[in-house]
Amino acid sequence: MTTVIMRTTARIVVPIILVVAVSLFLQGHSLPGGGFIGGVLTVAAFGLIYVAYNLDYLESGVLDREVEYNTVIGQHRTVTAYRRLFMFGLAVVVASGVAGIVLGEPFLAQSYTYVHLPLFGEVEFASAVVFDFGIFCIVVGGLLTVFSVVGAE
Amino acid sequence: MAQFSALAAAIALPFLGAALAPLLYRLLGDRVGLAGAAVATASFALLLTQLGADGTVSVPWIPSMGVAVRLTVDGLSLLFALLASGIGVLIFAYASEYMHGKPDLGRFYSALLAFMGSIVGLALAADLVVLFVFWELTSVCSFVLIGYYTADEESRYSARMAMLITVGGGLCLLVAILLLGVGADAAGLARFDLSAILANREAVAEALRARGLFVPTLVLVVVAAGAKSAQVPLYFWLPGAMVAPTPVSAFLHSATMVKVGVYALGRLRPLLQGPEWTAVVATLGLVTMTVGAMLAVISTDIKELLAYSTASHLGLLVAAFGFDSHYGAEAGAFHLFNHALFKAALFLVAGIIAHEAGTRMIEDLGGLRADLPITAAITFLAALSMAGIPPFSGFYSKEIMFEAAWDAAQAGGGLAWLYPATAVFASIFTVLYSLRFLWLFFGDRPSGLPAVHRPPVGLLAPPAVLAVGVLIVSLFPGLAVDRILDDAAAVTAVSSVEIHAGLPTYLSGPVVMSAITITVGVAAFPFYDRIQTGLNRIRAATTVLHPTTVYDALLAAADRGSAVAGRGVHNGLIRTYVWWVLSAACVLTLAGFATTTTGLPAPAIAETPAALVLVLAVAVVAAVAVTTAESHVTGVLTLGILGFMVAIFYILASGADLALTQLVVETLLLLIFLLVIEELPAFYGEIDWPRVSRDAALSVAVGTTAFVSVLYAARDAAGPPTETATYFTDNAIPEGGGANIVNVILTDFRAFDTLGESIVIVLAALSVLVLLTMRDRGETR
Amino acid sequence: MTFVLAATVGLLFALGTFLLLRDDLVKVIWGVAILSQAANVYLISMGGITEPTAETVPVLAGYYAPFPQTADPVVQALVLTAIVISFGMTAFALTLSYRAYQENETIDVTEWPR
Repeated sequence: MTTVIMRTTARIVVPIILVVAVSLFLQGHSLPGGGFIGGVLTVAAFGLIYVAYNLDYLESGVLDREVEYNTVIGQHRTVTAYRRLFMFGLAVVVASGVAGIVLGEPFLAQSYTYVHLPLFGEVEFASAVVFDFGIFCIVVGGLLTVFSVVGAE
Repeated sequence: MAQFSALAAAIALPFLGAALAPLLYRLLGDRVGLAGAAVATASFALLLTQLGADGTVSVPWIPSMGVAVRLTVDGLSLLFALLASGIGVLIFAYASEYMHGKPDLGRFYSALLAFMGSIVGLALAADLVVLFVFWELTSVCSFVLIGYYTADEESRYSARMAMLITVGGGLCLLVAILLLGVGADAAGLARFDLSAILANREAVAEALRARGLFVPTLVLVVVAAGAKSAQVPLYFWLPGAMVAPTPVSAFLHSATMVKVGVYALGRLRPLLQGPEWTAVVATLGLVTMTVGAMLAVISTDIKELLAYSTASHLGLLVAAFGFDSHYGAEAGAFHLFNHALFKAALFLVAGIIAHEAGTRMIEDLGGLRADLPITAAITFLAALSMAGIPPFSGFYSKEIMFEAAWDAAQAGGGLAWLYPATAVFASIFTVLYSLRFLWLFFGDRPSGLPAVHRPPVGLLAPPAVLAVGVLIVSLFPGLAVDRILDDAAAVTAVSSVEIHAGLPTYLSGPVVMSAITITVGVAAFPFYDRIQTGLNRIRAATTVLHPTTVYDALLAAADRGSAVAGRGVHNGLIRTYVWWVLSAACVLTLAGFATTTTGLPAPAIAETPAALVLVLAVAVVAAVAVTTAESHVTGVLTLGILGFMVAIFYILASGADLALTQLVVETLLLLIFLLVIEELPAFYGEIDWPRVSRDAALSVAVGTTAFVSVLYAARDAAGPPTETATYFTDNAIPEGGGANIVNVILTDFRAFDTLGESIVIVLAALSVLVLLTMRDRGETR
Repeated sequence: MTFVLAATVGLLFALGTFLLLRDDLVKVIWGVAILSQAANVYLISMGGITEPTAETVPVLAGYYAPFPQTADPVVQALVLTAIVISFGMTAFALTLSYRAYQENETIDVTEWPR
């Protein structure tokens, strides 16, 4: 499927998908969206890259690095990065829960506050967004691990 | 008044010791047994401070269910707890010498301490749930102790047998406890408060009788106690338990494990008393007494002899508690005490003989008096007490038991005269085997017996202390009776009790019974071998009826049955599992609907929007296409159509988030399916029409179940929203600070659930990774 | 409305079950996928479905009470996670069957060594 049309489309579409994904994630608390949706949409963007290019394109084409070829897929650098991502996500989720305990609230208790920022006006900061960010990382990291591993076959 | 702290400490100390025992073993080595003795002494001392106290103390445990850690102090519980901890001290001291150099002593002492703690806890428990917990703990601990020699096949077999029988009995107790709870509830009491139940026993018994639960409760209690206390026909685990190290046997047989059942009977005796009680319990006890005594006579091993004699004496105790009269309570409490003293001493003596002479076979032993003079003196006291020869302690309690039997016979008349007759018959055998055990020290020394060493003080002192106890009770029975036994007997009786312990001064029925027992027993002793041969013949003729045979047959049948069932249910084929699970689910669900509801709700067909019908219809058509797909690629593509239709359905159902997610996920799913299917071969199986029709039948059943369930479960959208939904809607902004209710639920209200769900994703990713990494490392199958 | 939903769920369950009973491992996974879709539809139907309007989407337009009656947000939250999880599970099942094929060289479940 690595035709020119496909690659050109991917080049244009992927950034748009990523922006939409991030905005869906950020607005999730008050408008349709959230960690799960933002996460799967990000995965979709990466999936498109894999289909149009290949697993190593991110490293070789985007980051301009030498690709190490490793026989064991679990130690492939990209896969390791994804694995770290969902581990990080899990850590964020648990940490946001523990933060509740530290502040004398039950585990995973959330709170929110309104902050006045110049230009933006009243902006709401909810601690739930941190939690949601963890979920986002888990979904992106977990599903991309699956994708890259299976795709490498 | 009872002190909770003292009682709780007396129970907790052994458990604490059990937790520390492996560590202490590292530090102290073999001497850890002495540390165990110190713990037992502390428990004993704590319990002694409660002597004379009376009452129940409690702290809440599960208040919503009326369960509390209630501990009670009265004569019976103190007697039992003191015996367990007191004899425990001696057992630990003995074990530290006897178990010298044996492996795994950390585990051994840990289990022994936990065992003692469970017994003390059980003795003091005044809550049925707490009682049950300790009851089962004793079973578990005894399993570990009996199976101490883990490498030995017989040891494992016996441990498993003890576990199955006693835990099985425990399950009966659990049901009995629930029934008692029903009775207590009906009588307006806290459900599991044993002391309240006993204080209002008439009301509870009345409530149970009114519901027809009285006899089932009684039978279940008796079965539980019978399994624990080795009554016919469940006695056979007890001789098997003698494969345990001797200190364990001594502890198990004298003061602890087997007395638990008797103790429970004594405790519940006032509640369950009545004609049924006597008929069941007294009969059971006397039968056990006879069978146990006969089996003891034909034993060839000294520990086996003592084990069967324990069964026989337990029968005596059970029978005593079975008789309604106050004599029964007196005999039960008194003999419980006497038996603990002499049986522990005799087991420890048996341990000394096995340790020093190197054999336990009765035939190979004899004339040990010259080699082991102190042991002989100990045995003399203990064995004659066991035989019930005046003026030794066992005589007093047995005499009261005879009085109870005589009394019951006089009151009942007719068949009831079998009670005293059986008691005398069984006691004759008791005299016989007691004398036989004593004869190990007298008579001729067999030529094959090697040189016998003097036992070290560590082995000799504990049984000597017990023998001195026997001697004191024999000479001054009043001492023990006044201190504790009268109180103990009073707990188990409904009428007032006063134990008269002493030599008979006038001729009466029970005195004649004793006279017959002793005269015939002593007169028959010269013909011991002939009696043994006769009994052996009876035993050989009834092999089919032996409980061990039945047990083995049942176990083998269970093995075979589970193998057959396993092959049927668990054969490694997906379709088999699907069949069982789904058909069971369908049957249960439909049966549930059929029994709880009346008729199907009228399905509302009318106001369905055309768009919804269309979308769902396309979804179903896509699913049909998936099912009949010729190739994998077509199937995957049509599966995608189904997914997109469901996404549109979510839009129609006002689920914006859902539709977004579903659309993306469906794309990803399509992608990953295509990636994998590329690697898999096409599949061409031939169609087996009979099988297809069977599968279709199950599918239709599942579909119907789902259809009916939706009809029942679907909420009428015109009605008000559910309480939960309203709560979340109203609180999303004030509490969660977000307008997207679904997202607020996920990240705020039910964040813990979301955490769990995200872990599922992590696990799936890790599993995929591991599956492929293992292959790459060459770790296949 | 309920009848249509019930019929759909029933049919999807039946078809999914039929696929679960096939010998072809890929079809078994399809069966699981169809069953999870059906279960999601079932869950949504338990929340009740009304004609969709701007009010019924469980995203509150204004920040002030009284809040409008929306579609049941609880079932939607349940289904949202279920979608993502079932994707993870399906991916896992696919990998598993791929590995099983590599080990046994067939995707016919009846021919696997048992």
